[in-house]
Amino acid sequence: MTLLEFARGPAINAALVIFVFGVIWRLFWLLFLPRAADHSVAKLGAGAAVSSAAGGFVRHMWPPREYAARTRFSLIVGYVLHFGLAIIVFGFAQHILFIRDIFGIGWPGLPTGVITVVSVITLAALIAALVRRMTNPVLKMISTFADYWAWFVVTLPVVTGLMAVSHLLLRYEDMLGVHILSVALMLATFPFSKLMHAFLVFVTRSQTSFFYSRRGSHV
Amino acid sequence: MNKPIDAAAASKVILSQTEQHLVGYMEACLHCGMCAEACHFYEVTGDPKYTPAYKLFPMARAYKRERSPLSWFGLTRKVTEEELKEWEELIFDSCTMCGRCTTICPMGIDIASIVGQARKAFAAAGLGPEDLQAAAENSRDHGSPLGLSPEKLMDRVEWLEDDFETEMPMDKAKADILLTVSSIEAMKYPDSIVAMAKIMNTAGADWTFSSKGYESTNFGYLAGRPDIAKLMVTRIVEAAEAVGAKTVVIPECGHAYGVMRWSGANILGRPLPFEVLHITEYIAKLVRDGTLKMKPFTDAITYHDPCQVSRRGGATQDARDILAGFATDFREMDPTGELNWCCGGGGGVQAMARAADLRHKVFQLKIDQTEATGTKKLVSACANCRMTMDESKDALHWDGELISLIELVADALVVGDEDGDGDE
Amino acid sequence: MADWMSQQGTVGEALTRQGISRRSLLKYSSYLATLLALPPTSSQAIAQALAGAKRQSVIWLSFQECTGCIESLTRSFSPSVEEMIFNLISLDYQETLQAAAGEAAERARLEAMEANKGKYVVVVDGSVSTRDGGIYSTAAGKTNLEVLKETAKDALAILSVGTCSSFGGIPRAHPNPTGAEPVSAIITDKPIINVSGCPPMPEVIAGTIAYLVTFGKLPELDHLGRPKPFFGDNIHDRCYRRPFYDQGKFAKSFDDAGAREGWCLYELGCKGPVTYNACATIKWNGNTSFPIQSGHGCLGCSEPNFWDAGSFYKPLPGRMTGAGEAVLGAAAVGAVAGAGSAFIARRRKAAASDPSASPSVPEGADQ
Repeated sequence: MTLLEFARGPAINAALVIFVFGVIWRLFWLLFLPRAADHSVAKLGAGAAVSSAAGGFVRHMWPPREYAARTRFSLIVGYVLHFGLAIIVFGFAQHILFIRDIFGIGWPGLPTGVITVVSVITLAALIAALVRRMTNPVLKMISTFADYWAWFVVTLPVVTGLMAVSHLLLRYEDMLGVHILSVALMLATFPFSKLMHAFLVFVTRSQTSFFYSRRGSHV
Repeated sequence: MNKPIDAAAASKVILSQTEQHLVGYMEACLHCGMCAEACHFYEVTGDPKYTPAYKLFPMARAYKRERSPLSWFGLTRKVTEEELKEWEELIFDSCTMCGRCTTICPMGIDIASIVGQARKAFAAAGLGPEDLQAAAENSRDHGSPLGLSPEKLMDRVEWLEDDFETEMPMDKAKADILLTVSSIEAMKYPDSIVAMAKIMNTAGADWTFSSKGYESTNFGYLAGRPDIAKLMVTRIVEAAEAVGAKTVVIPECGHAYGVMRWSGANILGRPLPFEVLHITEYIAKLVRDGTLKMKPFTDAITYHDPCQVSRRGGATQDARDILAGFATDFREMDPTGELNWCCGGGGGVQAMARAADLRHKVFQLKIDQTEATGTKKLVSACANCRMTMDESKDALHWDGELISLIELVADALVVGDEDGDGDE
Repeated sequence: MADWMSQQGTVGEALTRQGISRRSLLKYSSYLATLLALPPTSSQAIAQALAGAKRQSVIWLSFQECTGCIESLTRSFSPSVEEMIFNLISLDYQETLQAAAGEAAERARLEAMEANKGKYVVVVDGSVSTRDGGIYSTAAGKTNLEVLKETAKDALAILSVGTCSSFGGIPRAHPNPTGAEPVSAIITDKPIINVSGCPPMPEVIAGTIAYLVTFGKLPELDHLGRPKPFFGDNIHDRCYRRPFYDQGKFAKSFDDAGAREGWCLYELGCKGPVTYNACATIKWNGNTSFPIQSGHGCLGCSEPNFWDAGSFYKPLPGRMTGAGEAVLGAAAVGAVAGAGSAFIARRRKAAASDPSASPSVPEGADQ
């Protein structure tokens, strides 16, 4: 069995199984935890739960104007990173085929050149995020192994993908195997890392906005 | 000073608080550090340890240890006594639970509520500033953190009634409204109590004080002492029920409003049998329906939002509605409303002597904000903010003026048919 | 097998006997130089070397094979590599081509081995059965395994022609009932050149042999033992449809508009990106075409395990096999585990909230 066969075969499937198991486990565990009953009376005119949760979700996508200057770096890097990853994952024809293989749905991809440029920009954002995490006093203080691990498992597929396409270091089929293995690593550790924020963001933003909108506040 | 620290007790309290929303918050933090930019303690010191997310570390660790599926993989470890001791300052002295960090958090994590829960765990472990704990215990044992016993209250009210010729009903058998006080007002700013009475009387309200339930501050809540928190809420609820009050009015005090309005029913374990209004909400109602009229107040003023009334209370607009009626030169500071900077003394920090220097530093923000509006008159609607700022003002030798919103209203009231000079 | 095939002597003598002109030799030499990516000027030297070179003794062993490889070689183009190649070598044993049969054939092999001890080259097509002592493929009462070991012992080098002898090929595919193995799994003490492909390109077989004869040494090999001049690039990088790939233009089925436009066959499972061979450059049938040009994706036949690496029609990023049931099972188990751990958490919360077990009141609380 070659590296690529191992990656395309047992490795990626095992990773998917762990991913699905882990994500559902953690979400179900959260779902079934006891909820504190709120006996307080909502403010007159407070929005419905769904609309206030949705409003808060949108509101927290961008911090208030007051913080613009202070958060510029984080915001730009964060958005470049997230959009970049989204474009790479959902825009690259090869990745769409991977998704189609699993979900049976696909859509047209972007030209390879576009993806390459986006990947390089995304990688730059990832590196910028890492450098900042390692140098900014606040981030240095609050960063734990989990933060670096999450960075590593996200960055590795970007790097190996670029290297595979550029035929760097290893032969294409081997680097492709490494690339798929890096994705498998990311998927398998996703549910147990802070990458879970991709799901939790819907939970936390919504519950906070609901919490505050009952009070008539717009936090 | 060297009390034993009981980490197991802390963990146990954390376990008992395994609510879905708290766990979600604990697991969602990205360690992005943006919250530091919203925290006044970080803002004025630049010390990264004041990063709100960092303050949650022991809680997050305890949750993960005890709760999270991750613990099954052995990826978590116990919270140690040393950590609890190290974090005591961060959970108590340098968090006012103002909730500003939530406004910047990309995950929308409500850090303030976690700190509130964390304090319970710390208190159970035998931690927490002694003066804050003493304030809570004084409330339990003497009715008020500042020693305002029922007898003292009655004395005070009687004296104020005489001195200011204002009727202040005490222990009426039945009343629509139960008016509460904060002991800060009673002991330091009695004018505020007179102002409330005057406004109530002018509006023709059927109200009373009650010697059974009068202290609206809840240091049990701030100190992480749920038993005392519940006792304080119960006293007011029982007093209100005794007089058949439909409304309980909370004086100028931020956390008193937040605790009673939003947590009271939950602390009690059942819905409150009355409506809770902050004094600004109550006055705003009267202003909006035309019951109260004020003479114009022409000095330039700006308004400091008490965090628990505005951002975390939802009553941001009420103060504006009041001021819009008569303050002709009202200037909003920047940022304001739900994004205001905290005074530095909320969340019981005011009661911690050792946090004084830190508080004073925070007040510099307020000075700058106030002066940027071109005035030195700072109005607020929280006696705790006022006391904090008063002390800081002296410490920083600021020559600005701190004004109570209700006193401003009371002074400007148009009483009866008289054209504004009735209260001279 | 025609007599001349197995005659000794120099290549030049053989050519003369065949009536092949020096012009043809030069033409062939320059063609060879091109294939091997050597400078054009080297063709003269190649011709010179070839004319003077001693014809290489070759023993060709066919094991578990389909004869496709030898068919590929003998169906070659003009100037006939077939002829050329057989002028370069003295083919002393080849079951398919030789006239001799039975004991005579066997004797020819043994004689060649004796006569050219340590100097003959063994060409193998087909994989070697190893299960149960290799009894699943025998000739003249001997297993392929025995014959290979015996013949390889005194060989100069071994040329594995085709994917079966190079990597095991189809006989070795799951479930591999005969225990088929490539030559390299059995012979480890001789230089082995793998000329893979199912079948390999005739130019590649011939070119490799010519290189051996001309330069008297092995060409540079890749990590799988394949001659780099032919296996240095993957099909994808040399494919004339590559621009469509880069533009994101893919045929979605074998008869859609994209397919008719000649767009990239990647989404139809083409394995060009992970297949190393000369198909896209030299092309088949006298430089006429190759599979992708005729509208079908590359199967990856020159790569190890190509038969077992998932469907030929499954795109490369797709998983080789689905895991539907396992994933659904994981979801179900995850749901149960989640609900279960939340239940445990509820119980522990209840226990921790029990006032009778509450932590003691901190000291000084009663004051």
